[in-house]
Amino acid sequence: MDKQELLTQLYDSILDTEPEAAAAAAQAAIDAGVDAMEAIEVASEAIAEIGDMFEAGEIFLPSLMLAGEAMKQSMAILSRHLHSGQATQTKAKVVIGAVSGDIHDIGKNLVATMLSVHGYDVIDVGVNVPPMEVIDVALREKARFIALSALMTTSMPYQQDVLNLLTETGARNRFFVIVGGGPVTSDYARRIGADGWGNSAVSAVRLCDRLLQSQETPPVSATFVQE
Amino acid sequence: MTINRDRLMDVLDKAHRGPVIKQFDWDTRVIPGVIAAKLKEYGLQKTCDPANPINQDLELADRFYRAAVDVATEVGMLCTDTQRAIRYSQAELLAGVDAAPAAFTLGEGREIAHFVHRAISDPTPPIWVSPLSIAVSEEVFEPLVTGIAAIPEVDCLEGPSFETIWGAPLRAGSPYELLAGKMQAEAFYGAIARAGREGIGLYAVGTSPTHYGVLGGFGIPGGYKPQRDIVLVLSPVEIKTSYENLMKLAHAYNCGGQTYGGSWSMIGGYAGGPEGAALSCIACTIMLYNVYQCVNGASFPYDLKTMGNCGRPALWSLGVVFQALSRNTHLCANSVLNQTAGPATECLLYESAVGMMLLSVCGASSCTGPRSAGGKYTNYITPLEVKFAGEVFKRCAGMSLAQANEIANRLLPKYEQQLGNPPKGQSFQECYDLATLQPSDEWQRIYDTVKDAAIAAGMPLH
Ligand code: B12
Repeated sequence: MDKQELLTQLYDSILDTEPEAAAAAAQAAIDAGVDAMEAIEVASEAIAEIGDMFEAGEIFLPSLMLAGEAMKQSMAILSRHLHSGQATQTKAKVVIGAVSGDIHDIGKNLVATMLSVHGYDVIDVGVNVPPMEVIDVALREKARFIALSALMTTSMPYQQDVLNLLTETGARNRFFVIVGGGPVTSDYARRIGADGWGNSAVSAVRLCDRLLQSQETPPVSATFVQE
Repeated sequence: MTINRDRLMDVLDKAHRGPVIKQFDWDTRVIPGVIAAKLKEYGLQKTCDPANPINQDLELADRFYRAAVDVATEVGMLCTDTQRAIRYSQAELLAGVDAAPAAFTLGEGREIAHFVHRAISDPTPPIWVSPLSIAVSEEVFEPLVTGIAAIPEVDCLEGPSFETIWGAPLRAGSPYELLAGKMQAEAFYGAIARAGREGIGLYAVGTSPTHYGVLGGFGIPGGYKPQRDIVLVLSPVEIKTSYENLMKLAHAYNCGGQTYGGSWSMIGGYAGGPEGAALSCIACTIMLYNVYQCVNGASFPYDLKTMGNCGRPALWSLGVVFQALSRNTHLCANSVLNQTAGPATECLLYESAVGMMLLSVCGASSCTGPRSAGGKYTNYITPLEVKFAGEVFKRCAGMSLAQANEIANRLLPKYEQQLGNPPKGQSFQECYDLATLQPSDEWQRIYDTVKDAAIAAGMPLH
């Protein structure tokens, strides 16, 4: 196969939402001497197209999640083969989870996948995650963002706990903390001192982009709100 | 009906010895794969007809049921704690559905509520369980419950639930939740006694995000009473269970109580479009009645685009689910209607009018609701929308599917454009006088206007 065919294979494997095929295609491209950066660009185009298809209602959540996984697996291979000096495509690392007591995961999965589709390196810690555990993972992974989903009034206090723990352990300036989920309002986000609030998966992406582009460091002077 | 121990032990055994399936694979491959294959095999793809929000083709509903039996047999129900699938043979599944009662009661004395299986266009009025577990502040709980219990259409109570407990934030999965279980039971019993409706049946425990609220509130001294109240077991999407759910079941068994099983399927989620969601809901319902041995409940579609189920694709899907269950089982299926607009808005009442009429004519035995403002905001629930939804639900009993479809088509244009961006409306304190429990003039006027419009559209609400 020539270089163009290998890249097409990679592109198609992501559009066809096949993680194993995407990993194999990435490896084949590297083995054939394709420049990793070029392959990453092709993979990014494919995942961007997937994002558009989801927003247009042409594909559903499982396809989005599988394509996200395909992207992740191919990136794991490709990024190891970047030359020094070549920046990776990922914008920043995000640790995301639903806080203690909360098992509502559909919104969180949507946000996680949309973020990874848009170039973020997302670590999903799942549901019902205690505040300190989220922080430990974020510290270990040297994340830039902590994204917290809460769907119930009874789990929202744990979002505040994460912020309090960060402040009290002196780690508040290491992460942008963003919050969301059904009952979480922008007012509440302001009250607990979160860095950002968004009300949809698309807004979560814009929110992170805006926070990264801003000159601010956490905690921001005023909570970023993204509808 | 009490929970059978052999069946319970079999479920626990299956949850620990069934086939291992990772949750990611379940969500992205098993569920979408089997749903897509069965939609194709039974010719169900692209059958959703938004121009007729209430499905008129009952043979189609029957085909959905047959396909759903296949789906339930092939996938089973995933236990998220053990990452194993609880699976039965087709014969076992059908026997489990047959073992559920065709009638049961909740409550006691003159407040006893008789749940019965209902046919399509059944003239028997369905049971109205109200409201959902919408969070309210402690000082609002008593006046709200008193106002709701005073509505004759209300047969049983589930919500509201508390936002705080004795002033402290009520934290899910913590000792606060355990305390809140009993605190909520006491608050309910106090409020219904003062409202003169002591015997009314209760769904327990609204304030139980995890199993702790149920452990702390059901079957304990001063708590919810197993002989007249019922334990809510709500399953994670898509067709999953968990230790938390199974602990609620085990606790209900210990107390000699009954269970309610509920879940959702998302249009645009794991099961795909409105047809996939309908199929998944019916399959999930079959699993709920097997795994939880419930006497009441079902799974219902929810549209991720509108975050509710009162728009055309979701209504169609909801109707098919209840038609299929009504015609092919003798279950006392319960639905939840997911309105998106808040109190003191026309949109909320129009959503309720169309959705409750649909459930009444499509054979739902009971419904729990309303979900004012999507259930998202503290204190955004009032007695007036509870009354309206109950009136529609009961008075539409006996109406034909064709007539209901015509009425739905007359009323939908009055609200469907608002569904993506619904009005939040007003809180209980903003649109009610808490001392007299009377709605504001404005809210009363909105109610009168929508009721007149519903009557003009052909609804028997006189
Ligand atoms: C589906 C559902 C369930 C399913 C959950 C299945 C699952 N796997 O997720 C089941 C049936 C299991 C369930 C159980 C319960 N539920 Co529930 N559930 C819902 C329902 C109907 C839909 C939630 C949903 O998935 N929405 C769709 C997604 C896409 O929306 P979303 O999560 O809000 O996410 C979007 C945005 O908010 C945003 N977002 C989300 N997270 C984040 C994070 C960040 C950082 C950002 C920027 C953005 C963002 O982007 C997302 C995509 O657009 C809601 C009703 C509602 N209107 O929301 C109730 C609801 C959330 N549940 C509620 C309750 C009370 C419960 C139970 C306690 C009921 C009970 N007594 O057993 C249990 C608790 C379980 C637990 N321990 O968590 C209440 C909460 C009320 C409150 N204010 O506290 C609600 C509002 C229902 C109600 N009463 O009206 N539930």
